[in-house]
Amino acid sequence: MGIRNFFDRIEPHFTNGGKYEKFFPIYEMVESFLYTPKTVTKVAPHARSYVDMKRIMTYVVIATIPCILIGLYNVGFQTNTAMEVHNSSGWRVWLLDLLGVGFDPNNPIANFLHGLLYFLPIYIVTLVVGGIWEVIFATVRGHEVNEGFLVTSMLYALILPPSAPLWQVALGISFGVVIGKEVFGGTGKNFLNPALTGRAFLYFAYPAQMSGETIWTPVDGFSGATALSVSASEGFSELAARGIDWTSAFLGTIQGSIGETSTLACLIGLSFLLITKIANWRLVVGCLGGMIGFSLLLNWVGSDSNPMFAMPWYWHLVTGGFAFGLAFMVTEPVSASHTNVGRYIYGALIGFMVVMIRVINPAFPEGMMLAILFGNVFAPLIDYFVVQANIKRRAKRNA
Amino acid sequence: MAQTPKELILDPMVDNNPITLQVLGICSALAVTSSLQVAFVMALAVTAVTAFASMFISMIRNQIPGSIRIIVQMVIIASLVIVVDQVLKAYAFEISKTLSVFVGLIITNCIVMGRAEAFAMKNPPIASFIDGIGNGLGYGLILMLVGVIRELFGSGSLFGVTILETVNNGGWYVPNGLLLLPPSAFFVIGLLIWAFRAWKPEQVEERDYKIQVVEEH
Amino acid sequence: MPDENKKPGLLRRFLDTPPDSVGKTVVVAVTLCLVASMIVSAVAVSLRPVQEINKLKDKQINILQVAGLYSPGTDVTEAFKVFEPHVLELATGEFTDQFDVNTFDDRAAADDPELSVELTDDPASIGRQAKFVTVYLLRNEDGSLDKVILPLHGYGLWSTLYGFIAVEENANDIFGLQFYSHAETPGLGAEVDNPRWKSLWRGKKLYDENDVLQITVAKTAPPAGQEFHVDALAGATLTSNGVDNLVRFWMGKAGYAPFLESVKAGEI
Repeated sequence: MGIRNFFDRIEPHFTNGGKYEKFFPIYEMVESFLYTPKTVTKVAPHARSYVDMKRIMTYVVIATIPCILIGLYNVGFQTNTAMEVHNSSGWRVWLLDLLGVGFDPNNPIANFLHGLLYFLPIYIVTLVVGGIWEVIFATVRGHEVNEGFLVTSMLYALILPPSAPLWQVALGISFGVVIGKEVFGGTGKNFLNPALTGRAFLYFAYPAQMSGETIWTPVDGFSGATALSVSASEGFSELAARGIDWTSAFLGTIQGSIGETSTLACLIGLSFLLITKIANWRLVVGCLGGMIGFSLLLNWVGSDSNPMFAMPWYWHLVTGGFAFGLAFMVTEPVSASHTNVGRYIYGALIGFMVVMIRVINPAFPEGMMLAILFGNVFAPLIDYFVVQANIKRRAKRNA
Repeated sequence: MAQTPKELILDPMVDNNPITLQVLGICSALAVTSSLQVAFVMALAVTAVTAFASMFISMIRNQIPGSIRIIVQMVIIASLVIVVDQVLKAYAFEISKTLSVFVGLIITNCIVMGRAEAFAMKNPPIASFIDGIGNGLGYGLILMLVGVIRELFGSGSLFGVTILETVNNGGWYVPNGLLLLPPSAFFVIGLLIWAFRAWKPEQVEERDYKIQVVEEH
Repeated sequence: MPDENKKPGLLRRFLDTPPDSVGKTVVVAVTLCLVASMIVSAVAVSLRPVQEINKLKDKQINILQVAGLYSPGTDVTEAFKVFEPHVLELATGEFTDQFDVNTFDDRAAADDPELSVELTDDPASIGRQAKFVTVYLLRNEDGSLDKVILPLHGYGLWSTLYGFIAVEENANDIFGLQFYSHAETPGLGAEVDNPRWKSLWRGKKLYDENDVLQITVAKTAPPAGQEFHVDALAGATLTSNGVDNLVRFWMGKAGYAPFLESVKAGEI
């Protein structure tokens, strides 16, 4: 164990009184990335578990793998399909030409590689810029760099459109990490989902690059609306005319953010999180219940002027970021409610708000991001009332 | 309170700033800071109203019955605000259009009431007038700082003069639309308070509680 | 000292009474209200004329701008004299002398049940439409018509947009479109104010050769051709749709179509 010895040898330099005491968080980050953390709980209550923060975060990253794979394929597929009509150039085209991969949309490898060339720059910028903020705050505040950032950066990169300008990517993750997390004291103390906070910042700051019809496939001159914006502006029935059927929306071969399009992949990831008990099933049940219930109600009410009223729940499920948000953001333990009853309410609130924003608000075709942030804000309040109700009930029983 | 006029003016700038320390007057700070020119006029209006309101209230402070003193203060402040509003409408129409309802809302600006109640009721007219000016300027200082950030990065200009040529006009700068929306002022003011308190740690409030440290290496 | 036995004056006695007595509370309250209301009304009344002029100038500047006659420093009142205002009856497309053109208030007319109609077909979402509006004519030196300036309004995404459209003497070519009041999203819908976007309107045509209304704001050009098409605002679909609706509404049968016909016929 050469590396272990190396770490043991240099550790004294970083601990209290050592030469590089200030840089302990960086040492700790590298060490716990490679080995099981050595931290122990020193005060009551003691709960023994093999699941620590590191494992939870690792599992979440693993759960996103299906989304990454299908997402990369789809970005390449959409780009290559669009390139059959529109010309495209740039370093990606040059590199793919050099490798001799070609741009055939029927060739999965070509699609995958092309998608990768869009995803990697975004992801690397996210990791580097976000990582720098993490290390700055860890060093100044004296807390540790947390694996949570790996999850945040992965989720953040997956909910961006593939054409996102890299400087905006950097600004967004800076805002997400600093305002969404660090100002509240770092991982575990944040009440907003940092990845979504960064995404929301970009959405409001640079709407021209974050919404519309030309951003989902990074080919100049190509315009393709997402399923949601088609339904919102031209009516739900227009989807079929645009060649978007439910199966393609479910599998993910449609326009959208990098990792959000495939409901199938999100559900695989969600199952993994549920089986490993990282995700709490009550949140999922609540959210699905809220979404299905409210969309059924709107179907029943109906509207002459707003075609979105007629959108059935199984379409809400497969369009936009619903499935992705449900799998990876509603279930995020820190920003969700912490009581069991609260989890149902929290989930249902988000499910309700998604449909509400999508259908009734004319400005935002996509509601998942805003609905989850809204739910985040209400989570502590929900918990408070659940706990108060519990106290009252017990007091009555024992009175 | 034996403060010199200089202290009365300078103290509310940094050490006792109405926005960053007392966190008062936030509503209008959110609403009028997307353009520097508007923020500037708003700052002047609030300074004038605070100064004169404090002065008039201080002049009759020994005659104000305690039971209706808040109402008396409100009447004086409200009258002054209406005067300011009318003057703006007559001599600065463009700006009064942009400020619209927010001039009227100076009445509800906590800074004006706060200074009347906390200072003018106990101090002579001249000192109250200077105190009002100082607090108005302290408020204006923050308004201008927020306004500079929001207008420069939100529309690429300062006082309406283009500094960063925006993409829509053929330049290179992609303006940050969030900064033109009122919520952004929350972030900017929050970050300013953070900066002020990092600079002057004595302004940091005591923690209500401390989270227990449960882990060790 | 002769004054020693003299009673103190009324004011002195009043000032010396404790502030919290009932009588004093009432007197202070009443006095204060009187003084305050007098000051406020004095200011309001004395500044009213200046304010009225401002409001008028503001509107005149907008009309001058849409006609391309305004640059900073222009003497607004003087420059505005070139316009010939008329109150127009929309249904007939003819001018009316029923009202004094200088005092006629378009917005008030739209709320007056006598002077307006409730719309059933209402693409611009304005609810009630006035039967009469003020329009402005611009004439050449020789007295022939140069442009007509027509007010229009309609709902965008968040707010009602109020503006003017300037149409050339052939009643078909658009000279300019300008909104003076709206609350659309900054950076997206609010780009209706962007000079680059406004310049897209110049030279566009309203009607095709069969007098069918063709002008449209859309992402792609309509089959009728590029000369009837103004590019939609990037990222502001709903504001663009709103502008499209309101322009088409006001230029259509329920709007200025009858009037523009008589302009075209050279009757104005």
